[in-house]
This record gives sequence, C-alpha cells and structure tokens, in this order.
Amino acid sequence: MDEWGVAMTLLLQEILNGIVVGSIYSLVALGLTLVYGVMEIPNFAHGHLYMLGAYIAFFLLTSAHFSYWPALLGAVVVLVVVGLLVERLVFNPLRKAPQVNAMIASVGVMLFLEALAQAIWGPNYLQMPTPYGNVLHIGALSVTQQQLLVVVAAIVMMVLLNLFLKRTMIGAAIEAVAQHREGALLVGIPSGRIAMLTFAIASGLAALAAVLVTPINLLFPAMGTMVIMKAFVIIVLGGMGSIPGAILGGYILALAESIGGAYISTNYQDLIAFAVLVLILSIRPAGLFARRA
Amino acid sequence: MLRVSELTVRYGPNPAVQGVNITVDNGELVVLLGANGAGKSTIFRTLSGLTRPTAGRIELFGKDVTGLAAHRAVREGIAHCPEGRMLFPQLSVQKNLLLGAYTERRDKRAMQARLEQVFELFPVLRDKQHAPAGSLSGGQQQMVAIGRALMANPRLLLLDEPSLGLAPLVVEQVLEAIRRIHETGVMVLLAEQNARAALEIADRGYVIENGRVVMEGTRDELLRSPRVQEAYLGV
Repeated sequence: MDEWGVAMTLLLQEILNGIVVGSIYSLVALGLTLVYGVMEIPNFAHGHLYMLGAYIAFFLLTSAHFSYWPALLGAVVVLVVVGLLVERLVFNPLRKAPQVNAMIASVGVMLFLEALAQAIWGPNYLQMPTPYGNVLHIGALSVTQQQLLVVVAAIVMMVLLNLFLKRTMIGAAIEAVAQHREGALLVGIPSGRIAMLTFAIASGLAALAAVLVTPINLLFPAMGTMVIMKAFVIIVLGGMGSIPGAILGGYILALAESIGGAYISTNYQDLIAFAVLVLILSIRPAGLFARRA
Repeated sequence: MLRVSELTVRYGPNPAVQGVNITVDNGELVVLLGANGAGKSTIFRTLSGLTRPTAGRIELFGKDVTGLAAHRAVREGIAHCPEGRMLFPQLSVQKNLLLGAYTERRDKRAMQARLEQVFELFPVLRDKQHAPAGSLSGGQQQMVAIGRALMANPRLLLLDEPSLGLAPLVVEQVLEAIRRIHETGVMVLLAEQNARAALEIADRGYVIENGRVVMEGTRDELLRSPRVQEAYLGV
C-alpha cells in the first residue's frame, strides 16, 4: 500500500471508531436531553444509571449465567424500574422546589449509585464477557462484531424512539410537556406521569448503551463520570432539550475526538471535546438546535 | 351551568381576586370586562386548575370542581384558551389540535371529526396543518389556540383575551368564530379588551376592577351604563 492508501485507511478507521463511540454518546445524551426537556432537571446521575445498567448486565451474565441478549434486556428492564423509582422518590417530591434542589438531589443520586456499585462489586476494573468478540475485516479496516452491534443497535433504537415520539399520542405528549408545561396541563396531559415515563425511557436507553459498549471498554464504579461529562457537552452543543441535537452532537463529538486523537495526540482527546464545545458555542451560543422561546 | 361563589385567590399577601361571584347559565356567552391586571386571567387560571384558589367554590353542573388539577379539569369539560396561547411551538398545527383531544385520544374517529370542525371554523388552519405552530402569524396562532381548546369538546370554554395584539380584520374573524362556537350551545366565558365587540356577541357581562366584581348586567344594561361607556367603550 502506498503512503496515501495508508493515510486514508487510518482516517477511515478513525471515522469508524468515531461512529461506534458516537452511537453510545448519542444514546446517553438522548436520555439526558429528554429528561432535561420534560423535567428541566440537569440529571447528573444519568451517567451513573448507565454504570448501574452495565453492572446489572455483568451480574446477569456472570452470576446468573444469562446469555448476552437476555442479560441486555434484563439490564434495561431493571433500569427502567430504577428510573421510575428515582423519579418518584427523589425528583417528584421536589417538583415545586427551586430547580437547584433537584440538581443537588441528582448529584446525591450519583454519589449514592457509585457507592452502591463499589459496595456490591468492589472498586476493581471488571471485564464484561461477550459472544461477539471476533474481528471482521472490511478491506484494510478492522472492526469487532461488538462494535458493529453497537452501531446497528443504537441506530435501531434511535429510529424506534423517533417513531414513538412522532407517531404516538403519548410521544406527542412528551414533546408537548417539553415545549410548554402549562399548555400541556391545559389539554389534559398529566405531566407527572409523563415525567415518570420520560425518566424510565432515559434510564432504559442509558442501560442499553452501557451493555452495548462495556464489552469493548471496562467496568468500574466511576465509569459514569466521564460519560456524563461528555453527554452534557453534547446536549449543550446540540441545544438543551433537542433530540436531533443530542444525536448529531454525539457523533460530532466522537468523530472530533477520534480524528483529533489520531492526528494530534490521544492525550488531548478529552480536551478536544471541550474545544469543540467552545468552538460551536462561540458560533451558535444556544447550541445547534436551539429551542425557540 | 357554571357557578363561582366567593372566589378569592392570593399570590403572596395581596389578593388578585377577592370574593368574586360569577355564573354562566347553560348556553350563555358571558364577557368579563376589565383593565390589565384586574384579575380576569387569575379567574380563568383558577377555573381551569392552573392556579389554586385561596377560598371560594367552583361548581360545574352542580359538581364541585374547586381546586381540581388542570389535567382533571379538562376531563370535567373545562377548556381554557389562555393568555399567551401556550401552544407547542415546534409541533405541527395538526398535532397541537389533536393534543387538544388528549383526554379522548382513544376515540380516533371522534378526534378526526372534531379536527374537521376546527378546520371548517378556521379554514386557513387546514392549509397550515403541517407547519410548526410557532411559525404561524399571531392571528393564526390564536386560531390554533381556540381550536385546541375546542378539540376537548368542552362544556365550558374559557377565552382569555383572544383578540389581543391582532389586526382589526383578524379580530373580526376571531369574534365571528366565537359567536359560531357559542351557537353550538357551548358555555363561553370571554375576557376582552375590545369591550364593544365582545358585548355585541355576549348575553351578559361582568365588570372586574381590582380583583372584584364591581358591576354585572345583561348586554344592553352594560352597553347603556355610563360607567361602562366611559371606562370601556370610549364614549
């Protein structure tokens, strides 16, 4: 292969990696932006719900001897229930309090979940098994089955979520609450129940993302921290509460990280994320898809 | 019928509405006259459940609906077209309207039939049905807001300043639509700055000042009253 061929292969490989990571970022950011849109809470615990989803799947795979797909489904179901409980027990009682109370409560949930995971599974890095470890070669590019699975599953999930929001009355109700809470009450939408549903969906998406990607990465109690940082960057640059913003933002960020990491230095990968944020916000201060007032 | 007795609403220490008595008989169109800040919007918000009353009682067809949450008040047949419209700006006109029938969303056929009625009342909305509500002109947005309230198939329709900020020609269209809605037998409670136009289509009215009812009467009584003429009709 000539020099140019090598350079192109490197670039394509980085784009491929960016798409894999971007799929995960987008799924996590989608949940965060949905919850922000409907409840106006920046949920700092969202990354830790993701972490909990990964540990539940790990438990189901290793201790309960589930195979991969039942474990994935089980983790999603458990996190949906956890999401419902967190909304009812933590956020619903605070809905009439100042917003900062809910923010602080979400930090509390975050610390609680991290301590819980550490108490049950210990502080060490764990490896999640997967039956999809084989490497596929497409031309000069290589990709694991698991990476391919991440991308396909994430895209399927985004399509399903979009159909649910755009084609069903309940989905329309979620968007309505996000766009005008009082207007939604006036047409008879029970905003409390919509908040529960939204939180459950967001938690389920986080669990799904975590179980998809953790076999590639590692499992540890603080794994949610970096994810939530990235997810916040994404929804800020995409426009707080915007769904297309979260999806596009996720891929933009991941591609910038992987391409920037390859050509500048992987040491600066996380710095690149924030450089992208600053750059986009300096051009569009309200994010790519700002919600109209 | 709607019977509001001794309604008092306080925000903080000052009452926004104090000891208000209002009735709307079956099939009546009743207008509330009053300056900005007189308490009309607070009365509406309390009737539709957005604001909780401090004291008093609200009865709809003999049933106590005082302090009912807004999403339950709709189920009792109270539809509120609020000040500021409160539309869902990024959703299409059609979706805004369909969401108006959220409480009866399982009956798709009835929803479609009512959507058709709204389009007959406001033909311009049929052409704009796929546009985001926020992209419409003020007058068209007001039509969406009224239409959305009608989609709930209300027994009592609350219209808060529906002509506010609209061009004179559009005001006429909106008031004509309100007259036609009233003809179908829906009880209407209407707040309007444009007192003359409102009284023309009304059966009765109340004058609200500083959160109290200071005067009430039939349309003709109010039109003849020197106090109303001076303060609201600009005679």
